[in-house]
Amino acid sequence: MTQHAALANQFSDADGFYEALLDAHQGLSTEQSALLNARLILLLANQIGDAKVLANCIALAQQNSPT
Amino acid sequence: MNNEYQFSQGTGYVLPEYAAVVPDAVTSGRAEHHRILVVGGGITGLTLACSLAQLGVDCVLLDEDNTVGVKGASSRGICYTQRSLEIFDKLGIFERILAKGIQWSVGRTFAGADEVYSFDLKQQSNFSLSQQPAFINIQQFYNESFLVDRIGELGHAQIRWNNRVSAFKNGNGLATFTIATPAGEYKATADYVVDATGSKSPFRQWLNIGVKAKKGDDRWCIADVRFDTRPPTERHTWIEAPFNDNRAVWQHLMADDVWRIDYQMAPDADPAYVSSEAQVRQRLAKQFGKDTQVDIVWVGPYAYRSECVDSMCVDLGEQAVQRSAEQSPLGAQKLPYATRPSHHPASQIFLIGDSAKVVSPFGARGGNTGIADADNLAWKLAAVVQGHAAPALLASYHPERHEAATTNVQVTNRTARFLRPADGAERLFRTAAIGLAKQHPFARALVNTGRMAVANPYAASPLTDAALTSSISVQNVALQWANERAGDQERGLQGAGGQVAMAHGASAMGKNDQKTRPNACLNDLLRWAGTRPLLLVFGDAAGRLLPDTLAQLRALAIAGQVHVVHVVANPSQVQVRETVIDASGLLASACGLPFAKPLTPNGSTRPQPPTTTLCHWALLRPDSYLAARGAQLGSALVCAVARCAGVDSQGQQA
Repeated sequence: MTQHAALANQFSDADGFYEALLDAHQGLSTEQSALLNARLILLLANQIGDAKVLANCIALAQQNSPT
Repeated sequence: MNNEYQFSQGTGYVLPEYAAVVPDAVTSGRAEHHRILVVGGGITGLTLACSLAQLGVDCVLLDEDNTVGVKGASSRGICYTQRSLEIFDKLGIFERILAKGIQWSVGRTFAGADEVYSFDLKQQSNFSLSQQPAFINIQQFYNESFLVDRIGELGHAQIRWNNRVSAFKNGNGLATFTIATPAGEYKATADYVVDATGSKSPFRQWLNIGVKAKKGDDRWCIADVRFDTRPPTERHTWIEAPFNDNRAVWQHLMADDVWRIDYQMAPDADPAYVSSEAQVRQRLAKQFGKDTQVDIVWVGPYAYRSECVDSMCVDLGEQAVQRSAEQSPLGAQKLPYATRPSHHPASQIFLIGDSAKVVSPFGARGGNTGIADADNLAWKLAAVVQGHAAPALLASYHPERHEAATTNVQVTNRTARFLRPADGAERLFRTAAIGLAKQHPFARALVNTGRMAVANPYAASPLTDAALTSSISVQNVALQWANERAGDQERGLQGAGGQVAMAHGASAMGKNDQKTRPNACLNDLLRWAGTRPLLLVFGDAAGRLLPDTLAQLRALAIAGQVHVVHVVANPSQVQVRETVIDASGLLASACGLPFAKPLTPNGSTRPQPPTTTLCHWALLRPDSYLAARGAQLGSALVCAVARCAGVDSQGQQA
């Protein structure tokens, strides 16, 4: 198994996922929304499992700050 | 303010004007009756009328003013997809559009000063098989005027300018219209009515059709302008433009060196203020520099909404029968179309284009899908009127085009949401997606500045073979007629009545020209087949038609239900007169079939023993959608042909 995060597009339906994600946040308070994100990250992290890939993802997210 | 562009200022375009038509019914007072009445002469109604004319079917089209476009105002749609261009090629106006319009394939998306990503549609295989380019940008009224001219050349369709439908009455199942002309009113009834009146369609109310609608607070202002400089011939999209208060901007080239610059405004912005000349010039100066000379052609603010009707077809006869059944002692009982007494005239009304659905402009899914509505309905109406299909065929229009409308509303709503995110999580995710997309390819899939219109697949259609996931449009690939009189082939086949396909053996072919240059395309075959389905036969693994296969195909062709063409890789394989050469297997690929390579590529006649009944085939509808395909001639083919004639597998009229 690769130790690096996959950066090519692996979405089978990116627009559908994005819509479902935004729908899930609709009507939530800022705090509820942040908590939903936290739960979602933990769920997705468990789907990935591999410690090195997860560490790589955290590093990439830290490096990518909006200009 | 609605999502029809409102003219606010600029020099505008000079549009052609046509003479008003006053039919005899105005003076005689006698009501007219038409087989097909099209209401509305925009891009959709004109495409339908032209398609019917091309198929040799008469219709009357009513238009409320005396010109194409909106007088003195907008250019409306500007971006025409490959599929629309293929339809226009079939109708004979593609060359005019090509000569006037601008081809583009490169799109770039920016956020702030950075390019987030770019694409080149020419590199994408889903556009590469067709004779037509991925896109042409051209002002909508040009295409409309080309259609008017083409209808004049073809005959059959009568366009009545300055004929405005002012009232509708359901006369016990028969649609009756009051039509106003400059010289007075007249009345008309019709068997088939096509509502192409657009986003303000009065038919929705007349027919009591439900509409699902969604409105946002996003506001835009379009400026169509000429410059003394030339930006690149590319679509540029800013999600966050520094020169527009970090809101979105679109930049597109059209014909006549006119550029469409589309600016996103603040939510709920005042349309009069944002489209004032001072504001528009200030925005243009910020984007292109103070010294750039700008000639404003027109400016218009708009707000978009999405709408989708529940039903794109209303059968007034069925309603009348239901009503009388409800009043009868038998109670409410839905009676099938076929049981309606034949002496009882009744109308069917079809909604096409913006009458049926309204979408935001992202991805050019408005006009292009309206053109597709017209292409879908035209051959079905023509086949029924010509007696080639049972009226039940028309029942496939709603499921196919409503599936497309629903998809297009969903896709454009997603884009609208990306471009105008709600505060909070929606904006947060957009910022994250854009940031990641600048560095990582995967996140570009999340950046949604519009998903370009495609030929919508039909999964839920009664015409789609169960073995197909969905029915897809087959691209207009280039071909070569095998016959040495290649240029006359289309006429020659028509001259033979089109009924004797497969009747001539290879001996009638004369010498085989080894040079294969495309001199035809799939549209030529579709035009030849008219309202009949087109059977493309690819033969066995070596592209041959074995004697049994040939006999079956001859029987099919002589029965006249289908037009048959053998597709081969090179001239040495020609067995029958109706053969096309597709040297690279593009047509097989477009139909999702394997490419049969000849066993004897250099014309040697070494006989190969027939060992299998394998025969790849694809059945195309007149609108080039794949109805069915298979590897053996058999019941799947027979049923698919029957479905295209409005008859189900049990031989019933649905």
